[in-house]
Amino acid sequence: MNDNDELSDGAMLRDSAVLSAVRESISGLPMPAAPRLEAITARGRARQRRRVGGLSIASVAGAGACAALVVGLAGGWSSPAGLAPKAAPRHDASPIQLAAFSVVAGPHGTTTLTLYPGQVAKPSAVRQALAKHGIPALVTAGEFCRTADQPAPGVGDVVVLPQQPPRPVGGTGPVRTGAVRTGAVRTGAPGPVRTGGPGPIVIYGSRIPSGVKLSIGYRQNSQDREISFSLIKAGEPLTCTSIPDNGPHPGD
Amino acid sequence: MSHEQTEFAEFFQASWEPCLRAVIASTGSVQLAEDQVAEAFARAWLSWRKVRQHPAPRAWVVRTALNAGVSWWRRRARELPLAGHDVTAPRDVDDGLDAALLTALRHLPDRQREVIALRVFLELDTDTIAAHLGVAPGTVRVHLSRAVRTLRHELCPSAPMEVNQ
Repeated sequence: MNDNDELSDGAMLRDSAVLSAVRESISGLPMPAAPRLEAITARGRARQRRRVGGLSIASVAGAGACAALVVGLAGGWSSPAGLAPKAAPRHDASPIQLAAFSVVAGPHGTTTLTLYPGQVAKPSAVRQALAKHGIPALVTAGEFCRTADQPAPGVGDVVVLPQQPPRPVGGTGPVRTGAVRTGAVRTGAPGPVRTGGPGPIVIYGSRIPSGVKLSIGYRQNSQDREISFSLIKAGEPLTCTSIPDNGPHPGD
Repeated sequence: MSHEQTEFAEFFQASWEPCLRAVIASTGSVQLAEDQVAEAFARAWLSWRKVRQHPAPRAWVVRTALNAGVSWWRRRARELPLAGHDVTAPRDVDDGLDAALLTALRHLPDRQREVIALRVFLELDTDTIAAHLGVAPGTVRVHLSRAVRTLRHELCPSAPMEVNQ
């Protein structure tokens, strides 16, 4: 290295040395692993659906048609009906079938899952909706399943609850969210997380490694929206515990 | 898997990291860059027939990622009053990044920063960068020269600042 390459006082960097300094400063960083190709293509498909859905909704609105909105009963959150299943306005005497859940693409590459109170979401429908967003999931109602080993990363890095950061109980045990606080919540909690409060749940699907699934369990009691999450290893034996209508489930 | 799908898969695997580094240099955030690059590759997948014909597909991804970041911030600014459950705003400087260098990069105009990213991390030559940006090669050389001069001064303040005659 000659004098022109020195970064010392009074020295002058040659152009190549400046560019090398830029290159090396970034190249030395540990890079996050590339997401799975499936996650990228799923993201592309979701984007395509949003664009098509947006056009459809605009057309319907322009024609003066009755817009159907799915209303979060407690959270006051709504989403276009086209993005949620079983949300059809009806004008006859039969009961209105409200949406049980919605899965929509959010900002920053996230996916937002909302389970509405008063309805029991069909697990297979939730699983399929998440799969369309590139999120491999095991969804169960009335029970919650885990594998013996909880793979990295912490489920708190993948799931963002609508409340305060999950608080570890006993190290690797389940955590319960606290009082409502809007805003960003991301932690690396290793164990399952649970939410019992209102609001949408944000999922970072691209952070789920290959061979790992997101286990989601919720109560069959339609008035109780407690939901538990954990990361599980695909193909490994599951330990499933029933979720009683009230109180924590066994093992908590 | 079709030929085009295989081709995109190979492109994705080979290009993820250099594109990510290029976007990190522009955004200053690993986390934000990761999301923006993922979004750009998703768009590349949707438009692969067009992107594969591009003179520099990686440059297309980087530019799309940077534009996605701008769009996201604009959208977020509009939705902020209702964004009670939004995700974390990116930190100014991620751990491990050279704060001085990032500051210097941020002081560059957008076009100069993009030229630096394309030259340094995608190793594109002047003609390819010019074709990608739709400008003359001489313009690229000017951007590069000015960017390097600014960076040199920022990284080594005692170095004499050249003055355009």
